[in-house]
Amino acid sequence: MKHYSQMPGEISELSDQPFWKKGDAVDLAYVGYGLLIVTLVVVSYLLGSFNLLPRDPQEINLGLMMARPGTAGHPLGTDFMGRDMLSRLIVGIQAYFLPGLLAIFIALFFGTVLGVVAGYRGGTFDTGITYFTNLVDSFPRLVLILLVIAAFKPDIYCIMLVVGFTNVPVVTSLIKGKIQFLKQKNFIEADVALGLPTSTIILKHILWHNCRSLLIIEATLGMAEAILMETSLSYLGFGVQEPTPSWGNMVQSGANYFMQGKFWPSTAPALAILFTILGFHLLGDGLNNILEGKGNT
Amino acid sequence: MTTATVLKIEDLRTYFYSRSKQAFIRSVDGVSLEIEKGEALGVVGESGSGKSITALSVMGLISAGPGVISGKIGFRSDRIRKNLLQDLEDFVKLTTRDGKIMEVSKDVVGWGQNTERAMKKVRGKEIAMIFQNPKSSLNPFTLVGKQITEAIRLHTSIKTEPEAKDRALTWLDRVKIDSPRLRFDNYPYGLSGGMCQRAMIAMALACEPSLLIADEPTTGLDATIQSKIVDLLAELKSELGVTTMLISHDISIISRLSDRVAVMYGGTVCDYGPTKEILSTGFESKHPYTSALLASIPSAQNIKEKGYLQAIEGEVLDTINVPAGCRFYSRCNRVTEKIRERCARHEPDLREIRSGHKVRCWLYFD
Repeated sequence: MKHYSQMPGEISELSDQPFWKKGDAVDLAYVGYGLLIVTLVVVSYLLGSFNLLPRDPQEINLGLMMARPGTAGHPLGTDFMGRDMLSRLIVGIQAYFLPGLLAIFIALFFGTVLGVVAGYRGGTFDTGITYFTNLVDSFPRLVLILLVIAAFKPDIYCIMLVVGFTNVPVVTSLIKGKIQFLKQKNFIEADVALGLPTSTIILKHILWHNCRSLLIIEATLGMAEAILMETSLSYLGFGVQEPTPSWGNMVQSGANYFMQGKFWPSTAPALAILFTILGFHLLGDGLNNILEGKGNT
Repeated sequence: MTTATVLKIEDLRTYFYSRSKQAFIRSVDGVSLEIEKGEALGVVGESGSGKSITALSVMGLISAGPGVISGKIGFRSDRIRKNLLQDLEDFVKLTTRDGKIMEVSKDVVGWGQNTERAMKKVRGKEIAMIFQNPKSSLNPFTLVGKQITEAIRLHTSIKTEPEAKDRALTWLDRVKIDSPRLRFDNYPYGLSGGMCQRAMIAMALACEPSLLIADEPTTGLDATIQSKIVDLLAELKSELGVTTMLISHDISIISRLSDRVAVMYGGTVCDYGPTKEILSTGFESKHPYTSALLASIPSAQNIKEKGYLQAIEGEVLDTINVPAGCRFYSRCNRVTEKIRERCARHEPDLREIRSGHKVRCWLYFD
């Protein structure tokens, strides 16, 4: 899903119009859907953290196990312990929201720093950082996460730390490529000759004016990545542990009953994962097309 | 140094180390120039003669990679007086063996910091520079006006945005940009190449620098725009008396704008004197390279007289294996039998042959 145009088209992306007038209808629909998902995620997170739930997600009701969706008081049914699916879905986002932001922050912060050093300084720094990112890239991510879990504990923050760090190379190479491209145009040299401090050149002229859309796009994709990662791990049993609900462990625990025709305990979180990740990816793609231009690739 | 000298370059040598050849590429090899206050010095020469590298050395823009600078660049204005290359050589260590340079180790960070320290109050404020390819010299994602006000607020006593905007608009008007208010809020892509160069000139001059370095300011513009930019520069020069170092390979621009000319060949100055002596066709006592350069201008008169367009024979000097004798010897068409031996063996120095006119050629020395 990631196809960035490294060399942005010169004119198309630079018009004075606000960004919502620049994109195709399709891109705008992507972004609209993505924003809807982001809003839902944020609202769910707030509902969960202020405990404004239809029911207590941990309340076990053994008299109403595996109730079908539409049962009175349980719009999405209950799971194998009679817990309310809707409440658990809403609370499930708690497992991703802050840890996901942590992963994004780590990836963007360290990726940007390394990318700027490699791209702006170049030379030995560039070589060294490229070796480092290649090293990180060549390590299978899931194995690395399992190693960390085995060494410490299956904590979602631990996992997201690793997810964040393994995402650093992507951001590094993006920022580095962008800066190397910008350096061919000699406005950076002109800025230096004008006597602007290096910090102003890097922070304002390079990162803020030329890389911000890149970073926003990467952030949306990073969130999707984080959710997907936790799901995979939960399915293997290394993610968020019961009884704390997360979409991953809900799918996993519900899967046992799938073959008995009781599909909802696993399908509901699976669909939630699907639509959320789709939302973040489409948001990233739409923003990429609108802000960075479609380019030639 | 006389009181009115703004920039005095003494024996500037800017070398780049070539690892594969284990030798230095001697891009600038002993250049000495002086720029008086209010004068325009033209630097002319073919590609690879070291013109731009000289300018970049002055601005301290040779930072990355294996660039090595020695010499002295004295800068003096009302506010500042210093050697821009102070202590710079300390950051480079050479390892030589059998006359070959095995390794150049350069403390890039220290070099950068030292340059920053030396240039901090100089860049933009004291020496401003305008580049070739004006369109790529402006940040594509920032409003043109913002880029100018940023420079103004950084370097002058004006610190508030509205005042800076007033000043920027005054200067945009002064460089005769079409409808300055409109252009102020444009992105650089909305400006033509000529307008971008005007905006660059406004940005450079708005901080009232003591010296303006124009590195091929008309390259990349088409002929009509070129002449308009030259008109503008000439006008600004006569109105404001901007001290300028003008670098170009276009002799017509140099002859129009500059008071004195330095002709560069192979990293050295070979002819240095008043413009009317050096660039007029009638005047005979000049360096053979200058004569050849003038004869190869594709002008109607030149073609009419000879019936063809003359080029200088041979190729530009190999700046790695610099020959022992005169750098221009292999291409020179004025070597006489009397001095041939000397030309091939010994490099002439830059000597004054008439008041204010220096030439690096054995023809004129006895």
